[in-house]
Amino acid sequence: MNAARGSTEAKNAPRVRLLRGLDRIFHAATAAFAAGILLLVGTFLAVLLSGAWPAIVRYGFGFLTGDVWDGVHNIYGALPAIVGTLLTSGLALLLAVPIALGVAIFLSDIAPPRLREPLSYVVDLTAAIPSVVLGFWAFIVVVPWMRGTVEPALASVTGGVGPFSGPALGLDILTATIVLAVMILPTIAAVSREALRAVPRIQRESALSLGATRWEATRMVALGQARSGIVGGIILGLGRALGETIAVTMVIGNIFQIPTSLLSPGQTLASQIGNNFGEVGPGIGLDALVELGVILFAITLAVNVIARLLIWRMGENGRSDPSRSRWRLRSPWALARRSRRPLGARSSTAPEPWRERVHAAAAARIVRRRTVQWVMVGLTVACVVVALLPLTSVIITAVEHGGGAVSTASFYTSEPPLECNPGPGRTCSLGGIGPAIEGTLILLGVAALFAVPVGLFAGIYLSEYGRRSRHPLARSASFLADVMTGVPTILVGVFVFVLFLQFDHNSATSALSGGLALGVLMLPIVTRATEESLKSVPNGVREAALALGFPRHRVSLRVVLGSARRAVVTGILLALSRAAGDTAALIATAGGSNFWFQGLDRPTAAITPFIFNNFSSSYSNLQEDAWGAALVLLLLMLVISLGARLATRSTGAGLDGE
Amino acid sequence: MAPKMEVKSLDAWYGSRQVLYEVSLDIPEGAVTAIIGPSGCGKSTFLRCLNRLHEETPRSRSSGAILLDGEDLYKKDVVTVRFRVGMVFQKATPFPNMSIYENVAAGLRLLGVHRRDELDEGVVDALQRAGLWEEVQENVDAPGTSLSGGQQQRLCIARALAVRPEVLLMDEPCSALDPIATNRIEGLIATLRSEYTVVIVTHNLAQARRVSDHTAFFYLGKLVEFDETAKVFENAREKLTENYVSGRFG
Ligand SMILES: Nc1ncnc2c1ncn2[C@@H]1O[C@H](COP(=O)(O)OP(=O)(O)OP(=O)(O)O)[C@@H](O)[C@H]1O
Ligand SMILES: [Mg+2]
Repeated sequence: MNAARGSTEAKNAPRVRLLRGLDRIFHAATAAFAAGILLLVGTFLAVLLSGAWPAIVRYGFGFLTGDVWDGVHNIYGALPAIVGTLLTSGLALLLAVPIALGVAIFLSDIAPPRLREPLSYVVDLTAAIPSVVLGFWAFIVVVPWMRGTVEPALASVTGGVGPFSGPALGLDILTATIVLAVMILPTIAAVSREALRAVPRIQRESALSLGATRWEATRMVALGQARSGIVGGIILGLGRALGETIAVTMVIGNIFQIPTSLLSPGQTLASQIGNNFGEVGPGIGLDALVELGVILFAITLAVNVIARLLIWRMGENGRSDPSRSRWRLRSPWALARRSRRPLGARSSTAPEPWRERVHAAAAARIVRRRTVQWVMVGLTVACVVVALLPLTSVIITAVEHGGGAVSTASFYTSEPPLECNPGPGRTCSLGGIGPAIEGTLILLGVAALFAVPVGLFAGIYLSEYGRRSRHPLARSASFLADVMTGVPTILVGVFVFVLFLQFDHNSATSALSGGLALGVLMLPIVTRATEESLKSVPNGVREAALALGFPRHRVSLRVVLGSARRAVVTGILLALSRAAGDTAALIATAGGSNFWFQGLDRPTAAITPFIFNNFSSSYSNLQEDAWGAALVLLLLMLVISLGARLATRSTGAGLDGE
Repeated sequence: MAPKMEVKSLDAWYGSRQVLYEVSLDIPEGAVTAIIGPSGCGKSTFLRCLNRLHEETPRSRSSGAILLDGEDLYKKDVVTVRFRVGMVFQKATPFPNMSIYENVAAGLRLLGVHRRDELDEGVVDALQRAGLWEEVQENVDAPGTSLSGGQQQRLCIARALAVRPEVLLMDEPCSALDPIATNRIEGLIATLRSEYTVVIVTHNLAQARRVSDHTAFFYLGKLVEFDETAKVFENAREKLTENYVSGRFG
């Protein structure tokens, strides 16, 4: 028997060597893809900096303080855009955070259990609205409302001075702020909600057992412990607000000036880039726009770093070493005095009289505490209602204006119509978005071809090899992928455009560069999603397969990837849906066209730029087409998010939380 | 002496699953009542009914009556019930976002005690009762979670004692502790007897025997036997009880 085994081993030896070799190749290959992420980030920084370099050299620090953007005389300063960015994002946070917290508290602590899941899902859906659709809706619904109702009311209440001075235009800082708040609210709410949910129930029960009302349990225990998660969510939201381009551009009025009032039009860094990028040729004007991008990148990076430090500090405080806080005794003398009192003296503070007095007083305060409880419940319900209004309104508006178009078969196959308004004896053809649909599919194809393999293998490396070795490559790739998910998409567009300029002028605006821009946008999402899904596969699965003699690469590819495939596919789908809904990266790269696909090196049509180019069109048929396109996008997002939800739900994680 | 709490044909459910059947029991005042029984027989559920925590579990339900000093718990405000009937859990649950001091002061603040000296007095008194004061007096502003497991459990007891409940419910308070820490808490329970009514769930029969005056034996959601501890352990009425306390099953 031993002899028999020996001979099989001898026969297997070349095979074993081959498999070892394959293992090594697989390891190296996945590592190379992970290194690709580092390379990408490096290129990104290098391209942005070199693109901006001429402007940096020419304008120096004056660029930060100048307040003129004059393409004719080549005088450029960034101050109005910096002010606009910080102002709109900061105010948007002020608006969004309280409401988002109310929503999060309602969804984690207050809502009846069976309502929590579906309601959370609906709130999350708001985050999936493409920004061009949100901007379109804001332009049609919010802007007139601001102009006609809110701003005149504000002016009359405040006397129209200071921050509320100036004519009611509707297209201004205040409207942009509101749109940004709508955009970031669901993000903040979702992260905060998860942070609150992660606080164990027994913590709340401990508070309840001390006689806390539910609201008091939430406030005392849950909010305190979820603090760092909530801050993380707020920062995430801030990052999104700082870099949002399209929705802001559509409502901010686009005047390059330092806003003197909330009602004055303005510009942000991102919107200034988005507005002008397609119109300037290579030259100092373009360089100055790229420099705006560098500033924007620096600001978002700074926000991220500060956030990480904050979260880290708070995490520390949670279980920091006692010696640090030891000397902050609240009332050291009182405590010290009592500490010297012998234990035996306790009977002098017999519980009875104290208990009777304090319990009676507490009983008398109960009505007040109950009232607070109900007021808080009411407020959080109100927050949920407010948070759901935009989504509801977006859907109603899109169906109202685009419902006709999407239910016409030719809408999906025709080219856009000639500009036309119906009049006496004149009907306009509806046309369609056939080329845009085709273009979007091609762009997504190019993007996926680039991002899916790279992201998948990089993700495998990060989870399967990086985790154990804590190799610096794995750590930095994972970190940089995270940073990249937070990079404003307009910057991704600028990056790819400038990169292409170095090689070939003509293809800088083309299907290829547009597709690559979307791919760069997708890559970090695919990578991190893969990494996280694979990490959630229990180690026992790997060990069992390795024990059976499977080679490493087979274990990673077949066993681990196989058991996480649903989550991985979900991640890829979500990345695709983000790419499909993005506009900013495309207006810098894809070029825009009204025609059917003409080649990878030619500009191409796509759905989101089509909406962006026609949202303010005065031709009714183009407007209708744009709404039809918006509705198509919304339906696409809905289908993808529903699919993702079903896929992740049926993996059986947390079937019944109780 | 009149019982502190009277439980009258209590039924309890999780969803459609009934876990307590017709439990009737009088909890004597100023004494320690132990609840024993095999795992899953409903001891924790019973305890959680006594301060109405059971109703906080989603999809849970109960029926029957529970009286505290002759008054129906369900006719009183739940907040009043809970500061009069405190609870200590199996796992130590100090609030990690609060210092030792704040952990103990949390309940006092809820009661409306805000004066600094009154808070200090209450906190120190509770820590002393829980036998933790000597160990933490230097350090009351350190996070509650910086303590050892046994200290954390005593901190939770101090937190519960600080509001001076009339009844203290303890759900296997020692099950995660080593013998020394267990000893300390048992000693503590003995001193509480005079001023509090204590109900303690335990899997440790020797412990039930040591600390309690009365013992209730639960089996499959039903109260099998309730009597003075000595009787339950030495002279049980029911065969089932006898088998259980002599270690023949469970
Ligand atoms: N939240 C819940 N949801 C559904 N069923 C529950 C829940 N909590 C407990 N149960 C069930 O109710 C029954 C009684 O549980 P309980 O926790 O009261 O038992 P126990 O006697 O305290 O057990 P142990 O000694 O293990 O703590 C068990 O069968 C348990 O499975
Ligand atoms: Mg139990």
